[in-house]
Amino acid sequence: MITLLLALALLWPFGVMGHAVWLAYRAPESQRDYFSVLWLSAAWPSLLLAYVGEAQWTMDAWMLGGEWELNSLSRPWLAFTALLWSLAAVHARGYFAAEQAQAQRGDQDAQRRLLRLALLWPLTLLGNVLLIIAQDIASFYLGFAVMTFAAYALVVHTGTQEARLGAKAYLILAVLGEGLILGGFLWSAGAADTLMLQGVRESIVSAEHGVWMAALLCLGFGVKAGVIGLHVWLPLAHPAAPAPASAVLSGVMIKAGLLGWISVLPLGHAQVSGALAQFGHWMLVAGLAAAFAAAVYGVFQRHPKAVLAYSSISQMGMMTALVAMGLVAPDVWPLLWPGLVLFAAHHALAKGSLFMGTSISEHLPRWPQPLIWALLALPGISLAGAIGAGLVSKWGVKAPLYEMHHESLIKLLSWAAVGTAALVSAALWRQWQQRHQGGSNREQWGAWLVAVIAALLTPLWLPLPAGSIEMPPLKEWLGIMWPFPVGVLFAAVGWLVTRPLTGKTLPAGDLWWFYAFVVGSVLVPIRAFGHCCGRLKSASVVTTQKAEETLMGHLTRLLSGESWLRHHTSGLMMMLAVLLAALLMWEGQR
Amino acid sequence: MNAAWLPLTALATSLLVAVTIFALPEEARRLRTTINIGAAVVKIILVTLMVRRVAAGHEDIFSFQVIGGLDFVLRIDALGVMFAGLSSLLWLCTTIYAIGYLEGSANRKRFFGFFSLCVASTIGIALADNLFTFLIFYEMLTLSTYPLVVHRGTEKALNAGRVYLRYTLSAGVVLLLGAVLLNNLTGDQSFSSEEGLGDYLNDHRGLLTLIFILLVSGLAVKAAMVPLHGWLPRAMVAPAPVSALLHAVAVVKAGAFGILRVVYDLYGIELSVELGVITGLAVAASITIIYGSLRAIAQQELKPLLAFSTVSQVSYVILGIGIFGPFGTVGALAHLLHQGLMKVTLFFCAGNYAEELGIHRIDEIDGAGKRMPLTSIAFTIGALGMIGLPPVAGFITKWYLGVGAIQAEMYWVVAVLVASSTLNAMYFLPILHRLWFRPGPSHGKGNWPHEQRLGRLETHGWLLWPMMFTALISLGAGLFAGLPYSPLDWAARVASGEYLP
Repeated sequence: MITLLLALALLWPFGVMGHAVWLAYRAPESQRDYFSVLWLSAAWPSLLLAYVGEAQWTMDAWMLGGEWELNSLSRPWLAFTALLWSLAAVHARGYFAAEQAQAQRGDQDAQRRLLRLALLWPLTLLGNVLLIIAQDIASFYLGFAVMTFAAYALVVHTGTQEARLGAKAYLILAVLGEGLILGGFLWSAGAADTLMLQGVRESIVSAEHGVWMAALLCLGFGVKAGVIGLHVWLPLAHPAAPAPASAVLSGVMIKAGLLGWISVLPLGHAQVSGALAQFGHWMLVAGLAAAFAAAVYGVFQRHPKAVLAYSSISQMGMMTALVAMGLVAPDVWPLLWPGLVLFAAHHALAKGSLFMGTSISEHLPRWPQPLIWALLALPGISLAGAIGAGLVSKWGVKAPLYEMHHESLIKLLSWAAVGTAALVSAALWRQWQQRHQGGSNREQWGAWLVAVIAALLTPLWLPLPAGSIEMPPLKEWLGIMWPFPVGVLFAAVGWLVTRPLTGKTLPAGDLWWFYAFVVGSVLVPIRAFGHCCGRLKSASVVTTQKAEETLMGHLTRLLSGESWLRHHTSGLMMMLAVLLAALLMWEGQR
Repeated sequence: MNAAWLPLTALATSLLVAVTIFALPEEARRLRTTINIGAAVVKIILVTLMVRRVAAGHEDIFSFQVIGGLDFVLRIDALGVMFAGLSSLLWLCTTIYAIGYLEGSANRKRFFGFFSLCVASTIGIALADNLFTFLIFYEMLTLSTYPLVVHRGTEKALNAGRVYLRYTLSAGVVLLLGAVLLNNLTGDQSFSSEEGLGDYLNDHRGLLTLIFILLVSGLAVKAAMVPLHGWLPRAMVAPAPVSALLHAVAVVKAGAFGILRVVYDLYGIELSVELGVITGLAVAASITIIYGSLRAIAQQELKPLLAFSTVSQVSYVILGIGIFGPFGTVGALAHLLHQGLMKVTLFFCAGNYAEELGIHRIDEIDGAGKRMPLTSIAFTIGALGMIGLPPVAGFITKWYLGVGAIQAEMYWVVAVLVASSTLNAMYFLPILHRLWFRPGPSHGKGNWPHEQRLGRLETHGWLLWPMMFTALISLGAGLFAGLPYSPLDWAARVASGEYLP
């Protein structure tokens, strides 16, 4: 039964894609509904699958040998992923309603864009689902690659200058990341002769160069997870992508990087070597650096979605630090991971609803203004840890850290939450500045509202192991809540201080421009060298051809000698005969 | 039980077809097509039979003595069957494609005659059991492909043909020299002999190395290894089915297959390692892989880009040979098939774009995905496979090569593989972007260079179906690599024969 459901979950998106193709070729232009109920349902079987129960599948014929599993980690992960995909799909139906109407009127460009999106959205989802249930390397890599490359269409959707730049940054870094992941997988799997993710974890612990394997994999997945230095695609891609695409991109797809880390790193393993623990420290530092730097840079952004993108980088930085704890202090991991999953799930839904909220503020419905803005602010407040699921998830990671006496990290995480609060208030402020009335529809705000509620109630519906998450005791509430007002205050003060500097903003994508400059200047000498080689080659070809011609000239001259010989054959033969006769005679005389 | 008729019939099917086609008049199009396709189907049946017999443990040998000490021997073994299978499968596909492609053009009799002859040579190469027999078919391949390369008869084609002959004939001389030296040293040496050349190691170390270098450099010309690859991009003037056959199975693969034979069956893997030539091979292959990819990035036209991609990809096979250990071997052997399937798909697609829309340059391809969706999907599958992304077959080989390299402690090979994947992505992804994401003539922006409506579907059916078939097979070979009789499974079978005698 559950196997049937799995098959359905994986095949359903194909059916949806098939329907989209059928629509494009068979249905009349004016009746093409790219976002039909069928299309919306692409993620529903997966959502159902997450709640059915645990299961395991082994398929020898599949690639290098497939092993898929629904376990205590992949079930909650699949649940929040599929839920956000479903909600974002509904939101997309509303968000693209205008474009769809345009397409139905016969706009070729809109038709092209919508068909592309309708086809590649389910494919991206499929990759995402596959990578969550995969326990073997090949399936995981397949899911990851499908998701990464299909999502290109989601980013580039509008086709504007910014969208193309964002998509380019996304793709370049994705290719880089895929390369690093491939290298890391080959190395670790080759060293231990394994095809399973479990084997990779063991290989990293036991192999001599385990820390380098871990580094390759970490950086490779880090591209997706927005590790500092490799994060530059996020603030470029998010503002350009449509709101529902940003929601899934920031909500669940960057979590794939996180899941990658959890899957391949030997977190909580008893025999983690000194070098690996050292690596964990580096990771911890990188995570915290991202958490703070992104907050500081992000609050100065203009575009609300760019601010939210920096908020994602900052949040992922916190999660990076928590993952690193699995290497630095392995004994804390068994307690910590349910909290981390809850943190990830809550961030997914909250960030998803925040991104959907940007489309709401651009098309404000005719409701009481305070209500709308309160609703828009809710997921952000929760993200900062002041209410609802945010409060619980903060406690979910803090409680185990308290228990194992990592107070300094807790302090740092609390200060990072100040950054979060500042970022979400900055985002809301930018949304307020760029608000527009009217034009939203039922699907748009419906999906957004459900996402807000789901974000606030995450612990209630997430199928985590029983008893792994508790409500924080009342006396701890203040310790978790204080960053929010402080962050809002910081944002306000920052706004007041930088007010005279209006008109000047830091460009989104920070280091991207630096990288582009470096690559550009490195390419100059390489190009010159290439031209040099080209000239050298053509010169040598010319020389060789000349030498050959000379040689052939000599040979031709020999040929003319031959014809001279032929011409004088008889005379020469006679001379030869006379010569021979003379020789004979001379011989005879002796 | 020795079924001597089996290798002989397999060879004869294509040879007889060649003779028959030459005997038929130019106008007998229908009869020629029937004979051609019929023979191709018969050949596939014969190869299936061979596969079953090899799997059951039989060894069928056909031999006769030419002169004292020199025998003509055909033998069916697992490695040979692999190559023969690829050749016969792709013969059917390319023949169907060529019939559609050349419809209405001149000199079709000459074309199909030499085409069959070319395929007959590849079967001969696959089944040859000693260097002498191998050489005969190897040279026959050179000569029978020349008329195909210059088929169009233009100035450019004739020039390319001349370059092709220069490279391959001089390589043939080098190869012959090596073969004669080896024959002098050891007498007739069968590929199937168990002991290999190990006995001569102590006394003739230098000579053995010299012979190895002669043989491999002779073969490397056809395998298009840098710096001996110059003929391949020029030979792109040939019609698309010829390029497809040349790149996927005939010439380029014959070179790679020859190197496989020399290392695994003539010298034996232990001896090759002992001589230290293996590492040299791996280094040369790595240089070729990187260089080919770099040159491909700079190309403006589709077919030369694919040609440089072939230069790079075929060396994966050589790289796999250069990695000591069963995984490297499996990777090399599987890639022999995988690369053939994927590259033939890509060339079919390039041919379709050229025929249907007149597209030759990469910048003309904008938005072709809408006009020719099936071709573009096939192209996407092939390109992703070349990059080495799952689930296409290219990923499987890359995986085995990488794991083999780690187990042989050649860590730099992994770096080469990753770099090559990235470079492949750098020249294939922009094409895919143009295909699917840029608006072009089919969105009302500009015109196709030379559009024809060849069929009811997006193009002529004869051009479409073989391409779809090979694309699906390359996808299936990756997705279901674990199935029995998949390329990977067969490669593992051959490799276990090499390493576990």
